[in-house]
Amino acid sequence: MIVFLLLPALLLLLIVFVGPLFRYAWLSFHANSVMTGLIAIPNGGANWLRLMQDQRYWQDLGQTLRFAGVSVGLELILALSIALLLDQRWRGRDVVRTLTLIPWALPTTVMALGWRWIFNTPYGPVDHFTKLAGIGSLNILGDPNFAWMATVWADVWKTTPFAALILLAGLQTIPADLYEAVRLEGGNSLICLRRITLPLLRPYILLALLFRIAQAFGVFDLIQVLTGGGPASSTESIALYAYWNALRFLDFGYSSTIIMASFMLISLICVFAWMFLQILIPTHSKSRGAIES
Amino acid sequence: MNRRFLISLLLLWSLGPLLWQVYTSFCSDQALIQPFISHDHRWTLTHYQNVLNANPPFWRYLVNSFIVGVSSTLLCLVLALPAAYALNRIPRRLSILSRLALVGAALFPYVLLFLALLELAREFNLGNQLLALSLPYAALSQPLAILLLNNAFNDLPPELEDAAKLEGLSLFQRFRWILIPLISPATASTAILVFLFSWNEYPIALTWISDSNKLTLPVAMARIAGSSIYSVPYGAYAAATVLGSIPLVLLVLIFQKPIVSGLTSGAVKG
Amino acid sequence: MRENQFFRRILASLFVVLICSAGFGLAQAKTVETVSFLMAAPFADATQDLVQQFNQEHRGDIKLQVIKGPLETEAMSDLAISSLLLGKAPFDGLLMDVTWLAKYAEAGWLEPLENYFSEADVDTLVVGARAGNSYKGHLYRWPMNSDMGLLYYRTDLMQRPPETPDDLVQVSQALQNEKKVDWGYVWQGRQYEGLSCVYLEMIDGFGGDWLQTNDNQIGLNSKPGVEAAAWLQGLIDQGISPRSVTNYGEPEALQSFKVGDAAFMRNWPYAWAELQKSDSAVKGNVGITTMVANPGHSTATIGSWGLTVLKGSSHVDASIEAVRFLTSETAQKQLFLKYGYSPTQQRVFDDPQLLQDKPILAEFGRALKVAKSRPETPLYAQISDVLTRQLSSILTDKKTPEEGMNVAASNTNQILISAGEQS
Repeated sequence: MIVFLLLPALLLLLIVFVGPLFRYAWLSFHANSVMTGLIAIPNGGANWLRLMQDQRYWQDLGQTLRFAGVSVGLELILALSIALLLDQRWRGRDVVRTLTLIPWALPTTVMALGWRWIFNTPYGPVDHFTKLAGIGSLNILGDPNFAWMATVWADVWKTTPFAALILLAGLQTIPADLYEAVRLEGGNSLICLRRITLPLLRPYILLALLFRIAQAFGVFDLIQVLTGGGPASSTESIALYAYWNALRFLDFGYSSTIIMASFMLISLICVFAWMFLQILIPTHSKSRGAIES
Repeated sequence: MNRRFLISLLLLWSLGPLLWQVYTSFCSDQALIQPFISHDHRWTLTHYQNVLNANPPFWRYLVNSFIVGVSSTLLCLVLALPAAYALNRIPRRLSILSRLALVGAALFPYVLLFLALLELAREFNLGNQLLALSLPYAALSQPLAILLLNNAFNDLPPELEDAAKLEGLSLFQRFRWILIPLISPATASTAILVFLFSWNEYPIALTWISDSNKLTLPVAMARIAGSSIYSVPYGAYAAATVLGSIPLVLLVLIFQKPIVSGLTSGAVKG
Repeated sequence: MRENQFFRRILASLFVVLICSAGFGLAQAKTVETVSFLMAAPFADATQDLVQQFNQEHRGDIKLQVIKGPLETEAMSDLAISSLLLGKAPFDGLLMDVTWLAKYAEAGWLEPLENYFSEADVDTLVVGARAGNSYKGHLYRWPMNSDMGLLYYRTDLMQRPPETPDDLVQVSQALQNEKKVDWGYVWQGRQYEGLSCVYLEMIDGFGGDWLQTNDNQIGLNSKPGVEAAAWLQGLIDQGISPRSVTNYGEPEALQSFKVGDAAFMRNWPYAWAELQKSDSAVKGNVGITTMVANPGHSTATIGSWGLTVLKGSSHVDASIEAVRFLTSETAQKQLFLKYGYSPTQQRVFDDPQLLQDKPILAEFGRALKVAKSRPETPLYAQISDVLTRQLSSILTDKKTPEEGMNVAASNTNQILISAGEQS
């Protein structure tokens, strides 16, 4: 009986999550492109060999990592600040909390158009601002050194509220008397943060981090609409490269290889990030010991 | 630091870009290029007219997104509710494993699935059909939905269901009359989150729908981004951005409670 | 009981209405064939009048609909391909850029047209428009306009246009020094297909060749290939082109030239009509010529768009009707006069009335004589992508021309090898 309850959901999940992975693995060992008449022909490890030597894939991977790392890092810092701000009680707090959610609710492509204008050279507001501030015209979207920063900024803007909410939930589980105890011993806000907040928030930070890193790795909508991958392919992400291989170059075999490799790499990176953060932020019991000693 | 100052900074950062789009959407093309133009030449409604009178008209995209959103949410709930319930009643080891698997699936960057899903659409002729989109969307939101609803079921005292069993209610009746009404806040949260996800989803909608009459909002926006023949099309883009944002802003304002509680409870127990 | 009767009546009337409307619909459907064509935004707009005329002439018989797609060529192709990959495309015909033909034909998506357009028909086309319509012996595309890359110059600032790359640089610098213009030369430098078009003209202009499809010889890192890239980069370094040209497409270059900021512009024929509009600051002071090059090597990249019919369409004959109408002499005259699209029929080019009204037509004809197409291969999207990527690196000073072109050549080679075209 129970099985019937689980079965439909399980089936759908298998088809949509597990099936593709097997399909990609299989396809990656075949040549399937416009040159083969869109039929899959086994070609051994030729796709994988090509991937190893594909400088463009490794460049895109690096760019995606850079994007994900900087974006998630900035987000967490900002989200923590926002969560701390929203944790206190003040008039209108709920209204502000709702308003800060708006960026997260908007579809990426909708606001990406807006960002194209905001960063536009020479007519956008950012350009006017930099000219006024004496920095001069930065040609943000046309300069390979700056374009990726624009994408990071747009991504941080959109996803920080989500992380902030998760951290806020965590903050609200911390009993107030812990802070009292530290203050009684003469500790200031910074010590509160280090000894109590961060350790107790660790599971939430981990959750937000893992979630965001995985999503940031798959960045697609933002890049496609904001920069199209340019300039000089400096903002191109691996998801975009996989997409183009399939839909522009009609090379499905190679696209599958890219996806498969990326999936394996993302999993590895998530595991590492998780382990890294375990070490970085001590658990509450360890830090409590530090306070009491 | 002065709290008022921080709060205003926060609001400026969150709402500034969108408000700038609102401002831009009412500026004439000339005003966009020459920012210090006189008052008479500055304001215009033509951008909105252009966007609303385009072919197909803008409201069509909103309707399409709405159809997809509602059908995905319904399908997701129909599948997730039983599954969430059943998750508590399978052997413990299996349950922990399943939960881990679900978390893994929830973290998965689904954009990577686009190719396999495209092949599925081709095989089963699911392309260019709005209702068909609800299948992948429901599937992609299953992990989160199951986890959230499972938490809600866990919170119910077991005596309630035992009493109902004693009274002779069948499983379906217990579901209908006791369990589902009791977890309705969680269901509402899950529903709104799934709806938001379906509304904002891009890669799969991009590959499954090419008919301009059936586009959902995000894909339509991307296409608008590529269609302008003007060198400074940003007035029209801004109007499209504003129009595209309005439904979502409304959704957030109206459903703020379920959204916030859904996200935070997911975090607390996840 | 009364309720039951009431409901029965409602059901009965609904049933009747349903049958009637179905019958009506069926009657309609039997007589009117709806044919839909997917076109990029500018063409969808430009052909509106023609479509109306067609529908009036064929009322009750064929109804032609134009679906408007994105402006940018690549985005347009992405859209068409995703429709075709899904199996059933929601349109019967597609207005296709010349570079897509090989890929679409190889994928088996196009209906061969030799049975509809004979040799005699092909002979009516001007020579420059005959390229890019066939693949592996079959005719797949019937051209609607014959775009070619042109060098626009300001007639009020110079007596004659420059003929070699060095000339262009000198003239630009002189004019910029005299503060007559902000910039010398604006062109499409963004990382997209437009950049490939610009580059083709330069590499051919310096005497080289991008890719010879018969023997897969890659000329990107040869001396002319590197010279071409270096010359383009030099334009930015020397301040003849603005730095933001690395983000320019056709609209941005046109905008800059139109307000009088630049002395030279590279663009397609449509820009001519735009520059003669009342809001143009350079109206009446614009001349066109073919791109600067080493003597005897002047080249214009072919950019023509043509109509194709998709395999699997159930309205092939009706679609061909529409194709013929949209490419007829009258249609071409209309498109040329109103939108500046260069015609494809030789007779239109020779039309004395037209030449008198718009002498610029003769210039278009001249440019068509040196028109060259980009490599015709199903792998074109990939090799163009690789080229523009490296060019963009060079233009933004991330690589030297030698480095960039070497990478471009080796990447192109890799693509050919992976596809089994070369060992």
